[in-house]
Amino acid sequence: MKTHSVPSFQQESGRAYWRSLDALAETPEFRLWVEREFPEGASEWTDPVSRRQFTKIMSASFLLAGLGLAGGGCRRPVEKLEPFGKMPENYIHGLPQFYATAMPTQTSAIPLVAKSNDGRPTKLEGNALHPDSNGGTDRYAQATILNLYDPDRATRFLNGGKNAPAEAALDFLAQLSRNAQSNGGQGLSFLADRTSSPSRLRLQKLIQTKLPQSKWYAYEPVDLDLHRRAASQAFGQSVRPYYAFDKADVIVSLDCDFLGSEEDSHNHIAKFSSRRGIEKPSDSLNRLYVIESLMTVTGFNADHRLRVAGSAVLQAAAALAAEIIKQGAPNGLENAGKPAGADPAWLSGCAQDLLENRGKSLVVAGHRQPLAVHLLAHAINAALGNVGSTVMLLPVEQVAEQGIVELAQELNAGRVDTLFILGGNPAYNAPADLDWAKTQRKAKTVARLGYYEDETSTGCDWHFPAAHFLESWGDARTADGTLVPIQPLIAPLFGGLTDIEILARIAGAAVADPYSIVRETFAGFVGGGDLEASWRKFLHDGFLQNSSSKPVQAQLNTGAVSQSLAAMKVEAPTKDKLEVAFHRDYSLDDGRYNNNGWLQELPDPATKLVWDNAVLVSRKTAAELGVKNSEVVEISVGGRSVRGPIWVQPGLADYTLGLAFGYGRKQTGRVGTGTGFNAYAIRTSQTFGFAPGATLRSTGETYPLSCTQDHWSMEGRPIIREANLEQFRKKPRFAKGMEIEDGEEQRSMYPNPFDQLKEKGLHQWGMSIDLNRCVGCSACMVACQSENNVPIVGKEQVKRGREMHWLRIDRYYSGRPLAPKGTEQARVNFLETFHREQEQQFEDWIENPQVVTQPMLCQHCEAAPCENVCPVNATSHDQEGLNVMTYNRCVGTRYCSNNCPYKVRRFNYFDYNKRPLKELYLGPFGHRKDDEWDLIKMIKNPDVSVRMRGVMEKCTYCIQRIEQAKIAQKTRAGASGDVVVPTDSFTTACAQACPAGAIVFGNLKDPESRVSKLKQLDRDYSVLELLYTRPRTTYLARIRNPNPKMPDHYYSEGPSTLQEYDQKHADPFREEGAAAERGAESAGKGAH
Amino acid sequence: MLVCAAFPAQRPAVSASQGNFSMSAIFPKWTNRLPVMVIIGAILIGTGLCAGAWYYLTPKYSRVGYQPIQPVAFSHATHAGQLGVDCRYCHNAVEKAWFSNIPASSTCMNCHNQVLKDDPRLALIRESAQSGQPVPWVQIHRVPDFVYFNHSVHVDRGISCVECHGPINKMDEVYHYQPLSMTFCLDCHRHPENKLRPLDKITDLNWKPESEEKQREFGQKAIAQWHVESLQNCSACHR
Repeated sequence: MKTHSVPSFQQESGRAYWRSLDALAETPEFRLWVEREFPEGASEWTDPVSRRQFTKIMSASFLLAGLGLAGGGCRRPVEKLEPFGKMPENYIHGLPQFYATAMPTQTSAIPLVAKSNDGRPTKLEGNALHPDSNGGTDRYAQATILNLYDPDRATRFLNGGKNAPAEAALDFLAQLSRNAQSNGGQGLSFLADRTSSPSRLRLQKLIQTKLPQSKWYAYEPVDLDLHRRAASQAFGQSVRPYYAFDKADVIVSLDCDFLGSEEDSHNHIAKFSSRRGIEKPSDSLNRLYVIESLMTVTGFNADHRLRVAGSAVLQAAAALAAEIIKQGAPNGLENAGKPAGADPAWLSGCAQDLLENRGKSLVVAGHRQPLAVHLLAHAINAALGNVGSTVMLLPVEQVAEQGIVELAQELNAGRVDTLFILGGNPAYNAPADLDWAKTQRKAKTVARLGYYEDETSTGCDWHFPAAHFLESWGDARTADGTLVPIQPLIAPLFGGLTDIEILARIAGAAVADPYSIVRETFAGFVGGGDLEASWRKFLHDGFLQNSSSKPVQAQLNTGAVSQSLAAMKVEAPTKDKLEVAFHRDYSLDDGRYNNNGWLQELPDPATKLVWDNAVLVSRKTAAELGVKNSEVVEISVGGRSVRGPIWVQPGLADYTLGLAFGYGRKQTGRVGTGTGFNAYAIRTSQTFGFAPGATLRSTGETYPLSCTQDHWSMEGRPIIREANLEQFRKKPRFAKGMEIEDGEEQRSMYPNPFDQLKEKGLHQWGMSIDLNRCVGCSACMVACQSENNVPIVGKEQVKRGREMHWLRIDRYYSGRPLAPKGTEQARVNFLETFHREQEQQFEDWIENPQVVTQPMLCQHCEAAPCENVCPVNATSHDQEGLNVMTYNRCVGTRYCSNNCPYKVRRFNYFDYNKRPLKELYLGPFGHRKDDEWDLIKMIKNPDVSVRMRGVMEKCTYCIQRIEQAKIAQKTRAGASGDVVVPTDSFTTACAQACPAGAIVFGNLKDPESRVSKLKQLDRDYSVLELLYTRPRTTYLARIRNPNPKMPDHYYSEGPSTLQEYDQKHADPFREEGAAAERGAESAGKGAH
Repeated sequence: MLVCAAFPAQRPAVSASQGNFSMSAIFPKWTNRLPVMVIIGAILIGTGLCAGAWYYLTPKYSRVGYQPIQPVAFSHATHAGQLGVDCRYCHNAVEKAWFSNIPASSTCMNCHNQVLKDDPRLALIRESAQSGQPVPWVQIHRVPDFVYFNHSVHVDRGISCVECHGPINKMDEVYHYQPLSMTFCLDCHRHPENKLRPLDKITDLNWKPESEEKQREFGQKAIAQWHVESLQNCSACHR
């Protein structure tokens, strides 16, 4: 038998890294190489081979090469299979493993299940076992895995801006600990971001006992801890509110974006939407009133929306309180004044509805609002008897801490020797009046644990790289108080540390490794029993059973409410004194996701802008100030100014400027550099939520903005079908009646090409999307991107319409028709209303629009128009009803995309996966650096092809999941016929991520499946059914629940989209006999 | 106009004075056959190229017979053939995952810490099991990255190892036995009845049906009873 020499291990396995350049440099060859100007042979001709000989040899080589080619050299490159030396237990290559973990947030956590492929986490899903979760997640939880593999994250220890060995950094910590313990922590200050981790709380308390002189400061630019402080003040004990949106029939939001930018929004969406999924006409719906200044995701879903300036929300809250609280009302309600531009009848109608739903209603205040509004909300809830039913007060342990303003005072007074900054990025996001970058340097030594080398690390003496939560042990408590573990899936890629590890080291705790700390905390929770068994169960389940906080009873402290009201003064904004409203960005949060490409390219749910923030203004304000979209303006307030492009946002309060955080970073990674402007530049500690008295000046420049949905309205087309609850009860099948060309006689004369093939399929896949549950949060979009290896394309490419999202969320505005229905004027108005994209920003129908969102993805038409036009059969149908794409067959004609009526096909104009965004046009010369590529490829789902340039792609209904489920069932079946996948045993990535339960996927052939049942509902309809494409994705019509007693009664005539449809086609609530008449009429109008 | 008119008159005069300078001197007679030769040549070369590509550029040629030298002279003939070790003793994930695993060195050591303990041919395996460093086996069977082949669903549903890998139990050194091209896959997916066998005979590589009729009879029965789909959709393999 042939054998050959034993290869050396070190060279054969894995990559050879230059681990020690010093050692290499000592070799004589290396010294010689360094000393020579050119490598040997490059500058002299020492070879005895003559030109003739060279030619001879080369000819022979070519000949041999040719022979080699013919003789079997035309083979793929040799690849090695490297199995384990020692087999780990329970590991099977090719089968992913799942671990329960959690994503920590400011005051809560999102319980997760992480998927690990061969030791690298690739996808995060919600943990449906958790008692307070339905398995939904939010867009941040879906995207955070990209941060783990961010090539620009902090990868080294820094001392004075220079690389330092980890040992030196740990020595510094040990020295710091010794010093602090000798002087009781004198001069030692911590500035930390917020967390719900009980371990950190424990260590914080330990530090306060062991180092009593040290001081603790907490800062978050988006202050979500305000809810706790407000509840504690209102009820006179340390509590935080927990809202049961599922128990509330009437919800009033006081500038509270609880479905979008508040903490635990995914949880709120789940509970809110559980009351929207109406199935029968007899079912009830909740009702949402929203009083807000910006157009938020919560505003999208309002049944009644009041558009007032942010400062006027206090007045609105006071007006509501005055009507509701009859006994023991707080003082000062009448002094608040009336909110400018608000109809008093609206507020009293809303108050009346609340009064009629005592104990079943809920008033919530948003984090942008001052404490007084929160206290008023609590007072209203208390008066309505909601406390204990829809608002739970959960006890919360609190330790002494102060804010960043107090820390700045200490620093300025020179009383801080050592400042340790845990997380955050205060140099970027601290209030502008603190001038943080300079103030921070007033401490003698500044050390920091940070995930990025950012603005703050520049001014630090020591910088420690932080570990991602998927690389480290930790714990947290979810909104209901349940303890959840943070379990690592991979060892720290760059040796990062965690906050609890740092604190334990400084405190000089006996154990400093995070695992032991967390386990010790856990032991405190479970008390006695078999610790190992309960710990294992804790890690397996991803939560500790029965560890939720028990609600406490509390009496409202009316005095505190009155006191907070006394200090409030409201000035209505005007054209010359504009009000700036700061908001947490739907994509980048407070800036922490600035270098996350998925989130940068995720369109803002409202503006649909990507890669930038903008100065949001209402149409009226824009017209009065004489500015238009993309025009760069300078906003000045309190002596500070910032420049940004204008974007006219429908539904915004007049004289309000909406500025999103998170952009305009000075020091960030390759992705985030050069995006947007920094709104923190004009935010001070006094104007934390909104800043009054701003002026705006046009600079005459323009800045290109990339928007994924330029056209805002449906123009009466029945793409989204909606009705009011009464209308639905009157005619449940209204959605079917809105088909533009209905009636059997107008159906296609050809048989459905799929009917024959269909009989062969074991399953028939389909999807149902409930527009009544969908709130537009966009978690599904990021989930799809993560699951299906969808690349980002960059701002320029988005501007050319080349974004690659397989799933998008279409957001439509609809306005109230200005003339009474049925009149000629109404028709004229209607026709004049909708113009080209550029002109929409000047039209007055956008002032107070209704908003609808619709997830749009491949509809998997049974009679798919894309398939007919493909010249190479790259897109075809399989027998289970999937419209499948064979990438290696596609030649890139793009005919399919042209022929797709839903515009869901995406073409790879470039090798978006392989080339960096800035080098797309360099062809083969543009390639990612190795460090970038090595990390980025770790995130790819190995079960989905990474598409290359020149091929078309689109939603596949997560075919990899379908095939895996089928294969799993077939392997289980073995020699039996039990091959049908169990009912609803798996779902697509979008459906799994959706907190609202709006997307349901399953087997249509199985009458018991959820999707089959949903498709039987009266609300079921397909988009553009007139084309007879027979989509497998159908939608459930939206039902609004307006209050007939409200002054904006026009909603009672039906939602605005319905009225637009009515103007254009006919009333879907007409009597049945009128169908023929309408048919003749619509034939005259022609299909749109 | 004048010049043009004058030409015909002058031409004969020139050729008359220099008699040996004619067209035939520049292009000898055989050049008349040149176009035909070129066409025939092109056809021959084209046919040759096509035939070459047809033969040499197919997996049937380029893959079948591929027998790289492995770092350890492991003989399947000895282990699976002579000693009768079941395939799944080493390739234990084949019934569970898409990938049929190459055994870890520790699996080899289960026996070889007793048998041939100090054989120099096993030095690499011993070293690997000790250090945990992998043995760099050379991959033989491989489908393109856009093909998602799954072992488990085949071996758990009546397709034997031998159908794709050949008589491994007779190979001292493993070589590529079948082309594993798309045609090869489709041949079987179109007529699974020719290949399906009882589940207890999957790793019995010597098993043969009694006759072709018996095979087809069993195959058709299995297709009906087990609901064998043998999918031919693109989505079955390409995702």
